[in-house]
Amino acid sequence: MSSSNTGPKENISTSQAAVMVINYMLGAGILTLPRTTAEAVRTPDAWISIIVSGLIVLAAGWILVSLCKRFQGKTWFQFVPEITGKWIAFLLSLLVIGYFMIIAASEIRILAEVTGLFLLEGTPIWAIVLPFMWIGLYLTLGGINCIARLYEIILPITLVFLVLALLLSSKIFDADNLKPVLGSGIMPVLRGIKPTLLSFTGYEIMLVATAFMKFPKKATRAVITGISVPVVIYTFTVVMVIGGMSINGVEKRTWPTLDLMRSFEVQGLLFERFESLLLVIWIMQIFSTFTVTLYAASLGWSQILNRKFRTFVFALLPVMFLIAMIPKDVTEAFKLGDTVGYASVFLFGVIPLILLLVSLVRKKGAKPN
Amino acid sequence: MILLWSTILYYVPKWTVFAQAFLLLLIPLLLIPMFKMIRKSLNSSFSLKPDKYSPPRTKSPLEGIRMTGQFDKDVKVIRNAIGNQADVRFREIMIKGTKSRAVILYVEGLTDIDLIDSHILRPLMLQGVQEEQRNSFFHSKNIMKNYLTEQLMTVSELQPEPSLKKFVESVLFGKTGLIVEGMQEALIIGAAKGKSRSIEDPISEALLRGPRVGFTERLGDNTGLLRLHGQNESLVLTKFEVGNRVKKDLVLAYMRDIANPKLVEEVSSRIQKIEIDDPMESGYIEQLIEDNVLSPFQQVHNTERPDRVIAGLLEGRVAILLDGTPFALILPVTFSMLLQSPEDYYDRWLPGTFIRVLRFLAAMLALLAPALYISFISYHPGLIPTKLALSITETRQGVPFPSIIEALIMEISIEILREAGIRLPKPIGPAMGIVGGLIIGDAAVNAGIVSPFLVIVVAVTAISSFTIPVYSAGITLRILRFTGMFSAAVLGLFGVVLFFLLVCSHLVRLKSFGVPYVSPMTPYNISEWKDFIIRAPLKMMKKRPSMLKPNDSDRRN
Repeated sequence: MSSSNTGPKENISTSQAAVMVINYMLGAGILTLPRTTAEAVRTPDAWISIIVSGLIVLAAGWILVSLCKRFQGKTWFQFVPEITGKWIAFLLSLLVIGYFMIIAASEIRILAEVTGLFLLEGTPIWAIVLPFMWIGLYLTLGGINCIARLYEIILPITLVFLVLALLLSSKIFDADNLKPVLGSGIMPVLRGIKPTLLSFTGYEIMLVATAFMKFPKKATRAVITGISVPVVIYTFTVVMVIGGMSINGVEKRTWPTLDLMRSFEVQGLLFERFESLLLVIWIMQIFSTFTVTLYAASLGWSQILNRKFRTFVFALLPVMFLIAMIPKDVTEAFKLGDTVGYASVFLFGVIPLILLLVSLVRKKGAKPN
Repeated sequence: MILLWSTILYYVPKWTVFAQAFLLLLIPLLLIPMFKMIRKSLNSSFSLKPDKYSPPRTKSPLEGIRMTGQFDKDVKVIRNAIGNQADVRFREIMIKGTKSRAVILYVEGLTDIDLIDSHILRPLMLQGVQEEQRNSFFHSKNIMKNYLTEQLMTVSELQPEPSLKKFVESVLFGKTGLIVEGMQEALIIGAAKGKSRSIEDPISEALLRGPRVGFTERLGDNTGLLRLHGQNESLVLTKFEVGNRVKKDLVLAYMRDIANPKLVEEVSSRIQKIEIDDPMESGYIEQLIEDNVLSPFQQVHNTERPDRVIAGLLEGRVAILLDGTPFALILPVTFSMLLQSPEDYYDRWLPGTFIRVLRFLAAMLALLAPALYISFISYHPGLIPTKLALSITETRQGVPFPSIIEALIMEISIEILREAGIRLPKPIGPAMGIVGGLIIGDAAVNAGIVSPFLVIVVAVTAISSFTIPVYSAGITLRILRFTGMFSAAVLGLFGVVLFFLLVCSHLVRLKSFGVPYVSPMTPYNISEWKDFIIRAPLKMMKKRPSMLKPNDSDRRN
């Protein structure tokens, strides 16, 4: 496949690759993760589940990157045919593209739901989603380099605001809510792994990003940094939310993190309530997840069909919108997200391992030195 | 089977959704090619040669004619060609000691009369040709020329010119011309010396600390100021001529062993592509060579300060100086440059850092404050503290407009005030500012048109926008502020976030001469950040910015 699909060859730095993973991972999860974990674990040990699944994801990311590093300068859509042959590769690429498209769609839908609920009551979904997608289109047309640069601008803002908002919630933080540690044994923690894994989807962008890295050898470092930061942030979030609202309080709320922000007021500061801050950074994070998935899906189409990249960015926009409108309500939207999330465990946890083994056996790709 | 179909049908979205999806695709499909076309047509109209000169230029009657050496004939031809110009003077003399006649041509007001009197007329008319030389003149015409130039005329700039057309051109540009009977070449003496002002403190970029020197309108003075800055062997000043009808000198300045040769090449090729009758000011050059015509952000930095130019050159940038304007251009430019002032470096690093942080905050305020006001008042009063919300609602009770109209009234009137302030004569400018700002603001509140809280917001915004050290960058933020206000009015806080994302998306896509506009913010690089929002101690800033790919990255060299 010719590289002319992607225009001039672009480079991203190691830190940019890491930032892409971080921004992709920090998405809808910030608002819902405490609930999904709490529902599954039902003990205050939810945060342990997050750390454990973080470690699992780290391993998966490491495997995935080791696979990518064997094929320098090639994306998943380009190197899989070398390992499996054309037809299986086509199928696998379609699966990955479909995954990216559905992730983008579900993020859009959740954005529309949350914005409609908290910021713009009564505004039709399309009025929220259309401008959002247009700006995403404008960014994505700029290519991976522009995407990476934008992420580097919004990441510091996100981290500062999020940590600030969570630290302020220490006002209602009660350490007793987190006790006892491992009171019901290890089983609840294990039950929590499955839902938390879903929130850690995002490292799969390395399937595409590694090909563009200036120093592909450092891809492992990028993915490890990229996964560690969200693990720390998610753990911190869950600890603060459960500490502030107790495990029973968390289970009942759809958006526990937002509810935490609404449940306390700090007198004397410019703002007394911080959900607006949290929503602002959350919208930015959804934007980054949306653009990166739009980019990856369009790049995938353009590489497997050998057509121009721009065409697919335009073409995918309405398709993603239609997919986003399929769920009838927010519960179904979550279900959609969860379903593809489980698919991701298989797609990006199991398949890369198999492909890595196959490529080792068939001696495909260069040995990373 | 039926069940399956009914579930599928149940999930197929309504036709309105399809219409929305269509709209989603259609609008960018229309907009993006439209912008592309506008940009293309804008670019092509100046980067291509004009395909025909209309009206066709009259050919100079002197084209291709050389000096004949027959005095009367030559002078007649010249008189015919420029005789109707009111300011051209002909002074006929006789060279002492010979029977040769001569004529001096000059343009009144452009030429140095003292130079003509004491260094041309005096030696020719009083000293003349010595007895022993006289005879040899009849043998060779060259001896006469050599004698005149080598022994008689005490001027440094002197150039023989055989072509009549070029001779006339030079005289009209302010040089002094001399035609001597029997010589087949005319002499061009001296340089144009129009009036210029003295070097003053630059008005648009006044500093408390730093050299009180600004460029003037004369290119020679300006390049001189750059040379004068300090002994420096690597400073290169390359000359170009721009303008098709009115020809102007343009100097491209860079440091030979610092600036990236590719950048220099790119800039000079863009300069050579300029096709325009007269580049009036460096703003013309800026607009004709910039990357993105439709962007609200400037892609070339303009300054009146030589120290700023030198600092830019030392970072590996290049500068363009144009004859006739005190504004030099520095390029490529990055967003961070627009919020930096030379003073940051002249002061110690702690004050420098503090002021820079302040400026970044002020820029954010200038961009977003009215938009946030609108979104919080109109959409999310619940998100601001209850007491504050209550007091704002109370003061807004009498205001008959929605917050967007209210904010627009105030913002537009303050923009008008600001624009009027520039035009007003200096002595009454501040007075009008007080009248406009204080009295109208107060009266507007009392009349119940706007709420006092908004007056605070608008005032803070206006003052914040004055902290931006580059005037043209301030205008950009002012334009964008209105866009932000409209997006806030339509979609509230969500609209503000979208607006911010749009501005950021545009910034990350924008490049100035191949350098990403948002560097050094991205890609993350600790050593570049030493000179970004914070200004690290000078001893720590050992590297030149790597985004410009300088040849020599060590700042200590």
